[in-house]
Amino acid sequence: MNPKFILHFSFYYGIKAIMRGPSYIIASLVTPLTLLFVVYILTAGKLVEFAVVGGMISLIASIGLQSAGDATFFRLQLRIQELYVASEVTPIDYMLAMTLSFLAFSIPGIIVYSLLGAYYGLYTIQTSAFMAFLIFMLILSTSAISFIISGLIKHVRNVWGITAILSIVMTVIPPTFYPYVDLQGRLGTNGLIYFLSLSPATPAAISAQMFFGLMPWNSTMFTTMIIFLLGETVVYFAIAKFLTRWREV
Amino acid sequence: MYSGGKIAVNEVEAVMTKRVTTLIGRNGAGKTSLLRMLSTQLLPTSGTATIEGLDIIREAAKVRKIISSIPQEASPIGILTPYEQVKMYLIGRKFTNSDASRYAIDALEKVGLGEAINSPADTLSGGMKRKMFVALAIASDAQVVFLDEPTTGLDPLSRFEVWSAIKKLRSNVLLTTHYMEEAENLSQEVFLMDLGRIIDHGTVKSLLSRFSDRVRIESGKPMSESYSVGGMHIKYAPIDESERYIKDGATVKRITLDDLFIMRGVDLES
Repeated sequence: MNPKFILHFSFYYGIKAIMRGPSYIIASLVTPLTLLFVVYILTAGKLVEFAVVGGMISLIASIGLQSAGDATFFRLQLRIQELYVASEVTPIDYMLAMTLSFLAFSIPGIIVYSLLGAYYGLYTIQTSAFMAFLIFMLILSTSAISFIISGLIKHVRNVWGITAILSIVMTVIPPTFYPYVDLQGRLGTNGLIYFLSLSPATPAAISAQMFFGLMPWNSTMFTTMIIFLLGETVVYFAIAKFLTRWREV
Repeated sequence: MYSGGKIAVNEVEAVMTKRVTTLIGRNGAGKTSLLRMLSTQLLPTSGTATIEGLDIIREAAKVRKIISSIPQEASPIGILTPYEQVKMYLIGRKFTNSDASRYAIDALEKVGLGEAINSPADTLSGGMKRKMFVALAIASDAQVVFLDEPTTGLDPLSRFEVWSAIKKLRSNVLLTTHYMEEAENLSQEVFLMDLGRIIDHGTVKSLLSRFSDRVRIESGKPMSESYSVGGMHIKYAPIDESERYIKDGATVKRITLDDLFIMRGVDLES
């Protein structure tokens, strides 16, 4: 692994890109902030804390998923991926470098949601640390999904529609903006929860709702969700490495 | 062979030892596929090749340390500057931070991008973007550099600038082009490809010397034993017959690699 490359790439393509093209940040914040507003109005403020915690999760996951556009664009249009294939850069270096860049894109959103969380008194040292862990795992897992999508796409124009759909399906339908218990009793006791856990946003949101004290503590559910999140991050990354078309056949 | 069954490169047997070697051929001749296989980007279905004694299939990781490959129609990341992109590439190649900065600036200046070094790539012309990639290859100091159609789509002036940059490379270079003039200008050895096969090879001089006593006749009217190319009729004749064709209104030109390509039996109408 080449950490220096990963950091340089993410500095240039993450931090510098934000400074030169801030419109992307506003675009990425629009959906979660709109949903936060809708939740606030529809529930008369009752579920706003869910939406503040879930909004952060939704933001990170949607940025990770939408990064499939960049990954595909780099591979098919700019041919930047090919440039790196014929060098010492490994697929893992490249994927982590892109992933960390996307995390950099999320920084302004993280700041906004952190300020909102602080306003609602949601953040302590423990909850902040746990949220940092969730952000890290989410960006890894959703970026891996984006590489899987990117590896399967043959024409750049197809990727924008697919990521827009996936971004909604995988970050808004999961219990990011509402209590996870609303899903219990559908498809068996926890069937729908497990089904929706295909999206890393689901285990992240459920564990966050418990850790932040928004829902009663349930050790079994919490542990299951953390195992889900860790497991699918590893699995999605392994699949992405296989499908990323590093050396085409 | 591609997954649809299309054979891109077939029965290629070649030893390339010169400093600049060019693969020439029409679109779809197999040049890019061959170059992508040699630069470890595309896995061949059968056969093998070695670069500096390293097997491209079994020792791909070692090969990647000594090569640099600029893909056809590669484009820079628009929001980043040439300096940032070359430096980022060099860091990926495990250069130290200070070496990466120094080599990046040196190479960009060598190709004439010194003044655009900190301009976002979006603001560069097509020629400048191509030169940025040549700078990237220069800075890498790789033993072998692959350049896939480095001047396609460029105006003549930009093309000359890119040629000049390529001549500054210290590495062994394998480049593909369908511009015969480019091959004549840059390379010590030329391989002609068509339908996935090498159909001829040699130095530019040796290839052209075979036809030193002939000229190319171009006419709008059909001639005996002429090739028809897009409504134009082309024929090759001994130099001493030139006068006769000129009197008939034809144009007489010296033989170039273009003509070699036509004479080697490539059906241009197809």
